[in-house]
Amino acid sequence: MSTDASHEVRPAVDSTAGRAPRTANEAGQQPGPKDGLRRKGLSERNRPLWMLIPGGVLMIIIIVVPLLLGIYMSILNLDQYTLRKWVSAPIIGAENFVEAVTNSPLLHAVWLSVSYSLLAMVVTLPLGIAAAVATQNAFKGRAVIRSIFLIPYVLPSFVVATVWRTMLQPGGIVDEALSTVGIHVGLWLNGPQTFWTLVLVQIWASWPFIYLLALSGLQSVDHEVHEASALDGALWWNKLRYVIFPYLKGPLALAFLIGMLHHINNFTLPFVLFGVPAPTDVEVLPILTYVTSFQSFRFGLSAAMAFISLVLIAIPLFVYLRAVKLDDADTPGAKK
Amino acid sequence: MSATIAGRRSAPAADVERPGSHRQHEVLRLLPGPLLVIILVFLGALVLIPVLYIFLASVNSDIGVANGEFWPSSVTFDNYSKIWTSVGLATGLTNSVLVAGSTAVVSAALSVSTAFVLVRYSFRGRLSILRGLLALQSVPGTLMVLPVFVLFSSAATYLGIQVIGTQWGLFVTYLTFAMPFSTWVMVTYLRGLPKELEEAAKIDGASNLGVLFRIVLPLSWPGIVVSGIFAFLLGWNDVLFASVMTRPESQTAAVALQIFGASQEGGAIPYYGQMMAAALVCAAPVVILYLIFQRYLVGGLTAGGVK
Repeated sequence: MSTDASHEVRPAVDSTAGRAPRTANEAGQQPGPKDGLRRKGLSERNRPLWMLIPGGVLMIIIIVVPLLLGIYMSILNLDQYTLRKWVSAPIIGAENFVEAVTNSPLLHAVWLSVSYSLLAMVVTLPLGIAAAVATQNAFKGRAVIRSIFLIPYVLPSFVVATVWRTMLQPGGIVDEALSTVGIHVGLWLNGPQTFWTLVLVQIWASWPFIYLLALSGLQSVDHEVHEASALDGALWWNKLRYVIFPYLKGPLALAFLIGMLHHINNFTLPFVLFGVPAPTDVEVLPILTYVTSFQSFRFGLSAAMAFISLVLIAIPLFVYLRAVKLDDADTPGAKK
Repeated sequence: MSATIAGRRSAPAADVERPGSHRQHEVLRLLPGPLLVIILVFLGALVLIPVLYIFLASVNSDIGVANGEFWPSSVTFDNYSKIWTSVGLATGLTNSVLVAGSTAVVSAALSVSTAFVLVRYSFRGRLSILRGLLALQSVPGTLMVLPVFVLFSSAATYLGIQVIGTQWGLFVTYLTFAMPFSTWVMVTYLRGLPKELEEAAKIDGASNLGVLFRIVLPLSWPGIVVSGIFAFLLGWNDVLFASVMTRPESQTAAVALQIFGASQEGGAIPYYGQMMAAALVCAAPVVILYLIFQRYLVGGLTAGGVK
């Protein structure tokens, strides 16, 4: 990576830091085995580590503690009667998990979540790439087009869902428009087709994200590459296929992972689009977890479901974390 | 009405970008002209038709929307005066601005100092913290909402602090969930800053805080704005936590709109016009923020890769 250079040895730094730390803040921090780190030019002395405390305390109280609490709750028999005194709720071990897997719509929800995320991703990828390729070259009004392309992504999910909910009402604008060309689809917001409605709206909302990352990939293509392929007289399709697309692999792999995580975690879109209780064909994981908690009041069961979905999320997340260079890369995961 | 359309059409012409010389253009060309036009028109229509529809429906009558009219047969702006009380947008927007705004400011301030330490100093566990920041961005909200709710209720039961139903509870929650991403944005931003200035300041005897306030802050305001805006959006767009943790008087705009939409089911024709007007009003601040800071935000999006 070219950025490595900026982390190389800086004799000036090391000697200053070594000679005389001048500030008042010189606490007796333990010097660690940091030969490698010093090479990166990171200061080891006189570290204002206390600055990490406010953020760290917040994250421990509001994220880490509830996370552990959630795991603990998944082995409790917790309903609306025992919730108030959850500390003394009876422990029932793995029963919630057994019930979640064998006797609840959880597996169905996992299947829905994964297939809906994948389907939406499969369609948004070509849309995003096409948009990026089309706006890469300068033309009149390109800036405006680029802004327009990002609108669906910028609109809040609850707005997107409210608007599509209105447009997809029976006899609404979408039905009206489709019937002029002789297509009658039937109910969008109820019944078996809801799954496809969710996929379509998700596609509408999230293709600009792929577009953004594809665009950042295109911008890393050197001018010489264009010249070389022009000299070779490459046809546009061959140029795209063999010259340009290889540059997009890294950013798009990243987009795929993050996009999948977003889709699987997306609560707002199905919640506002269909309301609760949601039709069974869109009872994706977040909705099911929410309904089990706040509609059925089976808190322990819901915590077990949440834990299982965390395990599911952990798979793409793990790949993502492995791909990201924590220290050097300017853009995480942009493997070049 | 026609004035709006004309304004929309003429906008591209106002923003002229000089293309390079013809030869240069040919070298960089990726797509044949007709295909390019087809893609742009298709995607442009895909985005603009629903967006235009939001506006048209918001000035239409409810019956018109229910019958699937695109162009309103009668135009009325009444919806925009009704939504403040009927949807509860007056309360909702006030709460949203308060909560999301303070989340943005505090989160930006905390993330700068946290990122500063993470980028410029070495200590045990530094890489684990960086990895944790990335991982925490992906923890699903539905996993957290129940335990956070229980934790906050327990604060009322055992400590006597009422958190549920107050703006404070929402603020603390959003702040915490905004921190990982905001900090990550600042980490990527601060890495790009040259260290020489900070080193020079240290040689001149500046303390750590001095370096942070006099050197890092003035140089990194674009990054600070981005991380603040993302924190703002997190609070503004959230429905999950707000739907569980608010009472009618502390509701955010997102929840107000969601409840209004859900309560229209059954019976008479829903107030579609008011729904669309309210949706537009809720979207406006976000879109305006994005248009103003577009350049920085796009960089931040690709750097962090998270909405």
